[in-house]
Amino acid sequence: MFAYIIRRLVYGIVTLFALSLVVFVLIQFSGGTPLDRLKLNPRMQPVIAQLTEQWGLDKPWYEQYFIWLKNFVTPIDVPSEPGLTVVLFGKLGIRSWVAVAAGVVAIGYSVATFFIRVKANWWRTFRAFSIIGVWVAAFWIAKSRVVFALNWGESFRGDGAVWDNVFGAAGNTFRLGLTALAIALILGIPLGIYQAIKQYSFFDQMGTMLSFITFSTPIFIIGVMLQLILAYQLERWTGVKVFYVAGMTSSGYAELERGLFGLPSLAQWGDVIQHLTLPALSIAAISMAGYSRFQRASMLEVMHSDYLRTAKAKGLPRRTIIVKHALRNALIPIVTLVSLDIAFIIGGAIITESIFGWPGVGRLYIGAINAIDYPTIMAVVMAIGAGVVVMNIVADILYGVLDPRVRYD
Amino acid sequence: MAEPLLNVEDLRTYFSTEEGVVKAVDGVSFKVNAGERRGVVGESGCGKSVTAMSIMRLIEPPAGEIVTGKIEFDGRDLLQLPEAEMQEVRGGEIAMIFQDPMTALNPVYTIGDQLIETILLHQDVSKSEARQIAIGTLADVQIPNAAARMEDYPHQFSGGMRQRVMIAMGLSCDPKLLIADEPTTALDVTTQAQIMTLMLELAEQRNTAVLLITHDLGVVAGFCDTIQVMYAGAIVERGTGDEIFHNPQHPYTWGLLGSMTRLDETQQERLHSVRGAPPSLINPPKGCRFGPRCDFATDICREALPILHQSQEGQRVACHRADELDLKALAIGAAS
Repeated sequence: MFAYIIRRLVYGIVTLFALSLVVFVLIQFSGGTPLDRLKLNPRMQPVIAQLTEQWGLDKPWYEQYFIWLKNFVTPIDVPSEPGLTVVLFGKLGIRSWVAVAAGVVAIGYSVATFFIRVKANWWRTFRAFSIIGVWVAAFWIAKSRVVFALNWGESFRGDGAVWDNVFGAAGNTFRLGLTALAIALILGIPLGIYQAIKQYSFFDQMGTMLSFITFSTPIFIIGVMLQLILAYQLERWTGVKVFYVAGMTSSGYAELERGLFGLPSLAQWGDVIQHLTLPALSIAAISMAGYSRFQRASMLEVMHSDYLRTAKAKGLPRRTIIVKHALRNALIPIVTLVSLDIAFIIGGAIITESIFGWPGVGRLYIGAINAIDYPTIMAVVMAIGAGVVVMNIVADILYGVLDPRVRYD
Repeated sequence: MAEPLLNVEDLRTYFSTEEGVVKAVDGVSFKVNAGERRGVVGESGCGKSVTAMSIMRLIEPPAGEIVTGKIEFDGRDLLQLPEAEMQEVRGGEIAMIFQDPMTALNPVYTIGDQLIETILLHQDVSKSEARQIAIGTLADVQIPNAAARMEDYPHQFSGGMRQRVMIAMGLSCDPKLLIADEPTTALDVTTQAQIMTLMLELAEQRNTAVLLITHDLGVVAGFCDTIQVMYAGAIVERGTGDEIFHNPQHPYTWGLLGSMTRLDETQQERLHSVRGAPPSLINPPKGCRFGPRCDFATDICREALPILHQSQEGQRVACHRADELDLKALAIGAAS
């Protein structure tokens, strides 16, 4: 298993390397340069000459690629940042990311072990402690004040270091993407299961119809409809501002009272939720429709399997049949689907982020493409690539955990 | 005489389809005594499996429904039992083994888990006692190294081994009746023989009644005390193994026997086949359902549905001409 993961990681690095080369070449040969806009102004000539020299744009493309590649993996010193609050809100350093990753591992681990047979009490105790341990480690790392960064260069648009921009945007994108994913999973999976159990019932037919309508509605329609109904009309009818149509927090967010230990206060949480709900719901609506369809199909397949008939013939109560025998089998195909969806969250939701003025990776990315901002484009592409590689491995590992027929050696 | 263990009376199980109502089981009545081994034979779609599923009440509405009938088991009418009590009966008093052992076990739980689950459900024992019982039954079905194999998953077993596990699961709670629905169909011939021998031994040891459903006459021959032949949702002949094999009264039974390959046959003759195809169960033919395929059909066969009655030879048969025909004398088919 360990050897398998190492092998997959090595393949992953090779894949990322190839990806960087292909994308770099594509940008180079797609026409235009980052400085084209300055050429309109004749007085900019010396600036263009200076920037061309400074960014190395006069060098051949392969030389530019190797300079980029070398810098891309070189660490630089950066001033320290406060810890825990950084994890939850705003800019993130690599330490904080490790903390988040550790938290995700802890959650994934507890979910995975929920399905593994517990043979002895010591194992149960060990499991509980290990989860607590991972969380404590995560907190400690998050509270530590050292911040790490790689030399990803300066944005060609003149808005600062690419590393800071990408990770700042990534934090925002994760806040939106993970919330949407959680809503989609919490509602979509049970919906699909229930539809399968009550196949062809009124509820099932309604669920199917709603799923298809939601799934086939473009996100810019859903987003705007939500803004119109839940934000604008709701405020008009009730006179109370329930949801905001744009931004991550109100302008007065920082002035709101802070909570204990530098954590956000209740009022601040409320403000965040008021901003987060509508964009998250827009994304979740579509994913939820997809998940419920997949889950329904996979559950139905299991419900008609021979081993479920065996379970029934054994005299098991219906609840045990569904929860123990059907569910675990029906969840296996969903794992792959969800894992890859998580990978693509990193890329941000370009349309949704634009509609809701959400300063995430999607908006950063589309802006960078419009300005032919090589360093930012490359950074975002590599982040998405790394996400896909890692989540593929995670999906395969989870597959092995859930399905005893799958073994890696 | 003691009460029979299982008493099925006028069982009718219908399935509604878009083309109409399929009368899969249409008026089946039979009794099985404690410890008796009963074979149910017939071709595909004659209602054998649906009969078994009906006894277990595994027919899922709204697709299929037991329309009328009475299934008395051990003094209780199973069709009147509330679902919770029926769950006690399933697996506890009536166990069932299915056709395809490759898919009948849940792939994500160990053999031990699945065995222990059944035992804990029906017997008042602790987890470790259940484990011991499970290991014992696995050893009974001749799984070598039973204790260690408890931790294995179904995919680590061969087809024959999995069917043994199914048998172990069925017998682990000492049921009074074991329904085996084509238990050897998916297995190769040598494994078939092993499984049948094993089932025979275990059923005799434990005095378990067995309802063996199969289309393979060879399988019932050595195993069953009594045999009933089903055709188009009804029983057409019932008798002891000797009666059925050596003196069939119904032309369908006679035809089935004739279509068997025999090792002692010396001449190279074409195998007999029952001509035609089974009738539609939505609109069964008027009169005898076997009539259109029968070589001996007369006017009465085309008019009236024969009922199961005692023939002069002893067994019960549903044929108008059973007593006048001497099928034994006709060379084709019938055993020696």
